[in-house]
Amino acid sequence: MSLPKVDDIHTNSELISEVFNQLLDSIIVDVASECHRITKLGLDRNLDEEEEELRLFAEARARSSDPSHSGESNSKYVVDMFGQTHPPIASEIFNCMNCGRSIMAGRFAPHLEKCMGKGRKARQKSTRAAQNQNSKGSTVSNRLSNGGSANAGHEYSNGTYEEA
Amino acid sequence: MSRRHSVNRPPTPDRDGAERVKEPTLIDIVNIKLTESGEKERLMELVRERLVECGWKDEMRSLCRAFVKNNGRDNVTVDDLVRAITPKGRASIPDSVKAELLQKIRTFLVSVAH
Repeated sequence: MSLPKVDDIHTNSELISEVFNQLLDSIIVDVASECHRITKLGLDRNLDEEEEELRLFAEARARSSDPSHSGESNSKYVVDMFGQTHPPIASEIFNCMNCGRSIMAGRFAPHLEKCMGKGRKARQKSTRAAQNQNSKGSTVSNRLSNGGSANAGHEYSNGTYEEA
Repeated sequence: MSRRHSVNRPPTPDRDGAERVKEPTLIDIVNIKLTESGEKERLMELVRERLVECGWKDEMRSLCRAFVKNNGRDNVTVDDLVRAITPKGRASIPDSVKAELLQKIRTFLVSVAH
């Protein structure tokens, strides 16, 4: 270990740097000593095996997510630790709790979007009514709402919507 | 006849030939104060924690393992490992960790200077 040239330390910042370097050297010695101990006691036997496993696992994952494969192709079959493979799209079928239709699990999210609010057909009546009230111009709004929904009631020219 | 002192005469060595005790240097004084106040231990803990968090320790350990692999388990001494990892170790300290440490040391120096 290099010792400081004590005659050179005159300024504060040199002093601070020197303290820092000595701290760092101590820590480096600690780490080296720890690794030395592990090596000599042979405690690193398992380490190499773990590293090998990690590397194989990373390789398997990299292979499966290779960009040269297309998105939904069968190339994403990764074998898990029980030897099972899972298809990329979940194919179990169940009933939607909102509308009651039987849906495939892998298509459930887009289905919910339409079923619960993103799609125009699914908007609730109150939302529709609020939109009619807010839109500018009576005839324009009439035309818009006529095109977009099945209106059971009359629509007045001032834009309010009333059920028959 | 008055004795003339030799101007350039080196200091008389101690009887048993030991060297003269040097005055404690500035860095020695700082180190003593750091240790006595417990600040040195606190700083060491802090640095150890930061270096583990940022993965520096893991890097150093893998360097050590590589060194052992290349040189044979039985030939490796602690000094070998220290010499092997010190250059990379000093260079790969994250700037944020270094800045934090320097700041803390500076604060300590200011506090003991008064």
